[in-house]
Amino acid sequence: MAGLELLSDQGYRLDGRRAAELRKVQARMGVFAQADGSAYIEQGNTRALAVVYGPHEVRGSRSKTLHDRAVINCQYSMATFSTAERKRRPHGDRKSSEMSLHLKQTFEAAVLTQLYPRSQIDIYVKILQSDGGNYSACVNAATLALVDAGIPMRDYVCACTAGFVEDTPLADLCHAEESGGGTTLALALLPRSENIALVQMDARLHQDHLDALMEAAMMACKGLSKVLDSVVRQHLQEVSVLTRE
Amino acid sequence: FSCFVRTAEPLEYHRSFLKENCRPDGRELGEFRPTTLNTGSINTADGSALVRIGNTTVICGIKGELAAPSTDAPDKGYIVPNVDLPPLCSSRFRPGPPGEQAQAASQFIADVIDGSQIIKKEDLCIEKSKLCWVLYCDIMCLDYDGNLLDACVVTLLAALRNTQLPTVTINKETDLAEVDIQHKRHLQINKHPVASSFAVFDDTVIIVDPTAEEESLATAIITAVTDEDEQLCAFHKPGGSSLSAEKLQDCITRAVARHREIGRLIDKVFHAPAPEF
Repeated sequence: MAGLELLSDQGYRLDGRRAAELRKVQARMGVFAQADGSAYIEQGNTRALAVVYGPHEVRGSRSKTLHDRAVINCQYSMATFSTAERKRRPHGDRKSSEMSLHLKQTFEAAVLTQLYPRSQIDIYVKILQSDGGNYSACVNAATLALVDAGIPMRDYVCACTAGFVEDTPLADLCHAEESGGGTTLALALLPRSENIALVQMDARLHQDHLDALMEAAMMACKGLSKVLDSVVRQHLQEVSVLTRE
Repeated sequence: FSCFVRTAEPLEYHRSFLKENCRPDGRELGEFRPTTLNTGSINTADGSALVRIGNTTVICGIKGELAAPSTDAPDKGYIVPNVDLPPLCSSRFRPGPPGEQAQAASQFIADVIDGSQIIKKEDLCIEKSKLCWVLYCDIMCLDYDGNLLDACVVTLLAALRNTQLPTVTINKETDLAEVDIQHKRHLQINKHPVASSFAVFDDTVIIVDPTAEEESLATAIITAVTDEDEQLCAFHKPGGSSLSAEKLQDCITRAVARHREIGRLIDKVFHAPAPEF
């Protein structure tokens, strides 16, 4: 096909990565003082910020209170300067509402909400720079923020996207690859139990290819979980050194 | 024991420090919190800056778009500031449309831009009556710990200095704009305004750079904006306890001194040699 070649003959992608290679991940926890938990993650050129408040009393309508578990409230928004074209409606539009709902459902699967009945946990994620894999960056940042806030979870929640080009699955797509017209699958995984929290794919794909695609996404998520784990351990080490002194 | 006093009787807690001429975080009455600045971190924006005054963190992203100038000002471009206080910066802000503090801050920044002439709107005009730049300045608070306005002004100034816009020419034959992304130019910054905020306690004591806790206990808030020629660009004292003109003059003097501090910080950030990898 004419135009940008998503995978060259030598096996290199648009940004020089190999098919199963993830983008460089850099993350920091505990970046903000006001919030109970906060984290910042960079996956290639996508930058996301997650902030957690809670668990606290349910604000707003008391009718949302659940007697046996905590309510998770998620809000996803993008900074107006995060995309190449200025984003006119950073929140409240359909895409943001859908993302917020997906994030809420993902974390309801992972957070031990039964430990906090009648309370609310707020997760706010903001995309500062968007270059594909927005949902994945948000999930990873929110996982770190929840760990930073000390909220118990069943497992890390790691998310990654995967695509398919000419029988080869690609892991961790950037914006050009996502909008190139190929298949995109987003997966959120609990790595230890290999349970899937969320799968989303909106494209045509032959069902024979589905297994390979899911496998590629799961491998990518497991790789990410190792990175997130090392970030958490390093943060704990830094914090324990500071508190000891 | 002191942590109970702080939650139960915050005013008494702060008063006990003010009697000794200092504040709970160890600062003097006229001392600002450590300020750090970082520019150009957002690639998708034409210019960006992130400033931290103590714990207060504010980011600004500038995006330029093309538009037709208005008929009553055909040789002027537009600068559109917007201050966003999302719920992630503090638990006092709820999700939804901008609250009154965000709207008031947006209007304050718009007034500072107009009053101080930070950028001449004529410089944003590409072709009179046909094409001009619109600069969208989106200021977002990421962590709210008091003194929002100072941080907004500093980050706006740094982001504008960091902004690079591509050169645009109008093709004489087709009358269409041609954007040359290869040749980018910095904006011409006319004046460098810097804001300093003060809080008044018990109608008498004036402290500089209040934290969120101090702001909530203050009886009045004053913000003074000065530029590099020691001229006053804006002075806000929205109600609150009444003060003598002398005390207000002291505030202005402190604001002028703060301008020099921030001026040095901005010069250091912009003239620092690029890091080698």
